[in-house]
Amino acid sequence: MTTSRRTFLKSAGIAAGAVALPSALPSWIRDIEAAEAAAAAGVDKNALADIAISIAKRLGVSYADIRINRYRNEAISTREQQVQNVSRSQSFGFGVRVLFKGTWGFASSRRVTPEDVRRVTAQAVEIARVNSVYQRKRIAMAPASKVTASWKSVFERDPFDVSIDDKIQFLLGLNQTAMKTEGVSFVNSSLSFVNEQKFLASTDGSRIEQYIIRTNPGLNVIAVNRSTGDFQSRSALAGPQGMGYEYMEKHDWNREAEQAGSDATQKLKAKPVTPGKYDLILDPSHLWLTIHESVGHPTELDRALWWEADFAGTSFLTPDKTGKLKFGSDIVSFVADRTQPRALATVGYDDEGVPAQSWHLVKKGIFVDWQTTRDLTAASPRKKSYGCCHADSWGSVSFPRMPNVSLEPAPANTTMEDLVKDVENGILIYGDGSFSIDQQRYNFQFGGQTFWEIKNGKVGAMLRDVAYQSRTTDFWNSCDGLGGKSTYELGGSFNDGKGEPTQSNAVSHGCPVARFRGVNVLNTSARR
Amino acid sequence: MLLTEREARKITEKLLGHVKADDAAVSVFSENYSNQRFAANHFTTCGARENATVSVAVWIDRKRGSASTNEIDDESLKAVVAQAEELARISPVDREYMPTLPQQNYKPVKAYSEATSTISLGARARAINDVIAACEKAKVVGAGFHQARGNAFASATKNGNFNYDRSSLVSLSTTARTPDGSSSGYFLRNHFDVGRLDVRRVANEAIRKALESRNARKLEPGIYPAILEPQAVADLLGGFAFGFDARSADEGRSPFSAPGGKTKVGEKIFDERINVYSDPWNADLPGSKATQSGLPAEKIHLVRNGVLENLVYSRFWAKQKGKEPTPGPVNNIMESSAPPTSIEEMIRATDRGLLLGRFWYIRGVDPRVALQTGLTRDGIWYIENGKIQYPVQNFRFNQSIIQLLAPGNVEMIGRSERVGSSEGQGGNSALLPALKVKEFHFTSQSEAV
Repeated sequence: MTTSRRTFLKSAGIAAGAVALPSALPSWIRDIEAAEAAAAAGVDKNALADIAISIAKRLGVSYADIRINRYRNEAISTREQQVQNVSRSQSFGFGVRVLFKGTWGFASSRRVTPEDVRRVTAQAVEIARVNSVYQRKRIAMAPASKVTASWKSVFERDPFDVSIDDKIQFLLGLNQTAMKTEGVSFVNSSLSFVNEQKFLASTDGSRIEQYIIRTNPGLNVIAVNRSTGDFQSRSALAGPQGMGYEYMEKHDWNREAEQAGSDATQKLKAKPVTPGKYDLILDPSHLWLTIHESVGHPTELDRALWWEADFAGTSFLTPDKTGKLKFGSDIVSFVADRTQPRALATVGYDDEGVPAQSWHLVKKGIFVDWQTTRDLTAASPRKKSYGCCHADSWGSVSFPRMPNVSLEPAPANTTMEDLVKDVENGILIYGDGSFSIDQQRYNFQFGGQTFWEIKNGKVGAMLRDVAYQSRTTDFWNSCDGLGGKSTYELGGSFNDGKGEPTQSNAVSHGCPVARFRGVNVLNTSARR
Repeated sequence: MLLTEREARKITEKLLGHVKADDAAVSVFSENYSNQRFAANHFTTCGARENATVSVAVWIDRKRGSASTNEIDDESLKAVVAQAEELARISPVDREYMPTLPQQNYKPVKAYSEATSTISLGARARAINDVIAACEKAKVVGAGFHQARGNAFASATKNGNFNYDRSSLVSLSTTARTPDGSSSGYFLRNHFDVGRLDVRRVANEAIRKALESRNARKLEPGIYPAILEPQAVADLLGGFAFGFDARSADEGRSPFSAPGGKTKVGEKIFDERINVYSDPWNADLPGSKATQSGLPAEKIHLVRNGVLENLVYSRFWAKQKGKEPTPGPVNNIMESSAPPTSIEEMIRATDRGLLLGRFWYIRGVDPRVALQTGLTRDGIWYIENGKIQYPVQNFRFNQSIIQLLAPGNVEMIGRSERVGSSEGQGGNSALLPALKVKEFHFTSQSEAV
């Protein structure tokens, strides 16, 4: 079924009255109108999809999809009181994926014309056909229901409609605030915005349009002691969100900048940590990254099947451990979720037409389920695709990517202070820093932005040169305290890499503040 | 299809023809790219992409704006220039603006192979089939990645410069694992010429390492003498020549900064046999003929006989400091000024130490001394009395690059060969040697395979 502009606007919740006022229209509507104008000149996505699907079927594929996508990016970067770059980019094209005799083929082009769709579809089938001669094990796709839908991510103010000048003044204001602290030497700040306009059609009969907005602010403050040659940096604690420009208006960014300036200078004078075992209190601005690396990646089923063995690696989790392995303590439950508002991996449908869902990966400490796609369904214990298929571009093949993976807060309204008061010798960590984890996700090391000594239930002096090392299941089984809902925050990565060639994925991780007992802490200063 | 020089020139002329701004730099990049993955001894995903992107940067009253698009019809070219100019008009003054270059004289490099750019689907399928067949024969489970690309890049300025360059790259990595998952081996090589990629060597080395890594033993973490194969050196130092930025050193935020606002230029901070340089005309590792700023690339030494000889000045920073802008780097070459030592000789000369084949998930920890953390992966062996004794389980390391290459820590240096870092998937090529070092810092154990 053709998705007309009218039905798209209706499903996206846009008032009809707004359409009568072109100057007030959000840019995405103007883009749709521009796209429609282009369609009149020959770019009709549904017509192109019909061509690709019919050719692929005629050439004998068991499955095919075509994605016709436009990606818009805007980036502004500044340092101190100068603007380093203002840029906009956009990329438009299509990719055709086919499954022929249990073998994938994929080809793509920036030339979005009927002739090129015919040529590229045939190319995708030819790649699959040539490889199928040598194929040992046929890949199978689970069936999926036909979907006809339009979906738009939740945002209040489209960042592409906000003036560049407002954004520049916002960043220079942040820099000025951070530079007010005596001893701050340099400040870098940036804003980047992404808009994805995605169209998917498949041999299931699906036709899906999606419109997605993401916002990524950045701030980094550096304090240099020129006489000793020492320097320290402090990055913002708030990360990217699946929000519009309202994120820049509602979050207290001035306070972020003030605190970053103050922390950067204080880090130069902070006490070096003494290596040893400590109890850790981890703020959500830090813990999201530990969740990403030690929970998000090992629960990807393609890794467990060795499909990513050459680069990202495999996983310490294996299908036979589903429902059995004690992943963490009883208070630890992780939810995978592609429906959560404001989260970066939230969509209406994945890139092979499966609706967004929410499910437990770890429940009350037990590892219970995986992240799956339609070609992983046969190998998954629950024989189900959870809709984790994603491609970062029209020119990239879709494959399993991480949904939002979050730690559930405690039922009680436990605060950070409640967790700290039961710590005799510990460290409180804010912000994400250096991170590294092995290819099966056992052994990890994480730094942070600021570190604070905890002695006898009280937070004390700032520490420096802190990193902790642990083993995934030891770490999560040492978790004996979680904050309540009031401490829950969303962190995330704008550019999580996986695959060959590496593709980028934006993903959020929510969590409350949490306490871990007896974790090994290093001093990272190589000058000692 | 890659754009020819004539086609690319026509596009840059059209772009510049639309420019009303005071100054402008435009470019067009076209690519043919294809890849094939395999895993669990079968073909998995693959891809082919044809794309072209134009980029425009303009300055109006020293205010800068930039925009890019992959739609290159006449209307889109006009629109992308207009968008860059719109952004420039509302931007503050670019305090680091440097007028774009007039025509430069570039000396050609040979970095392109048509056979790589237009790789045969059938030949690639057969090559991967051969790798999988070798894995099956050795009773290991193979995974890997083959990619081939051809690029054509043209740039032009309002002040009259034009440059057109083509390059290509082919790479193959293979990971072999024993079916019980207890052992793993890896090998990666790349070249600009598909005819120079030794597919059989990649497969055989990955399989050999997997088989020779069986029954790995646990060793305590700590400081060990170590031999780093070229792949391990590439994983740590794959972008080394690109890290000698003068501005960050002058600003006091680099390992090459010195107390009192100075830099370490002129100091012998590395072993006296170590040379780090960039050479656009190296036959095995050709670089581009132009630097990122558009200047003609030249051979430059960053480190000569262990002495930090040059830091890299951008056009802006050179002007600020009264220096000449640096014509590079455009590639990453490390060589010994002494005769090279083979890995076999290094092993024979080791009383006690470790042989390291690959590092993984390397991240910066302390930029003051270029301290990196990461892990060993896919093959690590214990050496005693000049012989490999047995494979060992993986370690996490925390190691300063400056201390790794410091005088007194480097014992032997091998012959440099073309490698790509494994985290860069073979994309960031370098000419790097094996190294035997006195101390390498392992801080914990990893049971990962």
